[in-house]
Amino acid sequence: MDELLLSKIRLGVVAELLTYDWIAFSELARALDASNGNLGAHLAKLVEAGYVDEEKSFVNRRPLTRYRLTRRGREAFAAHVTQLQSLLQTAK
Amino acid sequence: MAQPIGASEARDHIEMVDRILAESHQRLCAGGEYFVVWGAGAALVTITFELIHGGRIPAAAVWMVPVVLALCALFSILRARSTRRVLARSSLVQREFFNVLWLTVGLAFVVNVAAFRLFPGIASAAIWSVAEAIVLLYIGMHGNRRAQLAGVVVVASLVAANFAPAGIAGYVLAAGMLAGYGGFGLSELLARG
Repeated sequence: MDELLLSKIRLGVVAELLTYDWIAFSELARALDASNGNLGAHLAKLVEAGYVDEEKSFVNRRPLTRYRLTRRGREAFAAHVTQLQSLLQTAK
Repeated sequence: MAQPIGASEARDHIEMVDRILAESHQRLCAGGEYFVVWGAGAALVTITFELIHGGRIPAAAVWMVPVVLALCALFSILRARSTRRVLARSSLVQREFFNVLWLTVGLAFVVNVAAFRLFPGIASAAIWSVAEAIVLLYIGMHGNRRAQLAGVVVVASLVAANFAPAGIAGYVLAAGMLAGYGGFGLSELLARG
């Protein structure tokens, strides 16, 4: 299994990003009901692993950070979920 | 080899993923202003051609056509850039929609500019109507009833124009563009408001 995605919040981030072109940090925090500090730390790990791309900009003088799932992240997610499902099958 | 997590935790994770995917609204935000601008622009161009063809305005007025189309394109590019910068999230369906929109309108533009001998006169306006109908029906496929209706209006105007008397067909097509494409855009703007 993918060790990075064993964390529920990181798995949640990748699942949120799966059907979106990109999502802003604030939207991710709201969707996952996570604190900014906690989410930021998890996102940093996903960015470092190359699972997620980060884009920083300013809109009306306010910072806007957006995230996008990379192909590597998408493949890792698919493989991880497949393994979770096979674990459940084995346990039955 | 021992698994790093147990079955109950795996089930918990799978359920969370299922819930997130089920709740991700693949909403298609069409952006009404594009449709109003392109509907009005395409109708204006079609009416201009029909007026020139009927001898009601001088042939020199044809130069208005590239100006109108260029203004529509400029508006779309600037609007798309400014909208993209402030949005908090954008779905993959949304990106796909804009790809279809640009591809269809772009091809219609190329056909009008580079293949005007193959599609002379009213045929070029009909190409625009077909392009607009494709865009509207594509949005309709994603559950937008107003877009479905507007697409049918544009297609109906094509059929009506085919059987309309000479000198009227252009106005029928223009009415379809204005009511179908522009009307859909207006309804989207009103719904958003």
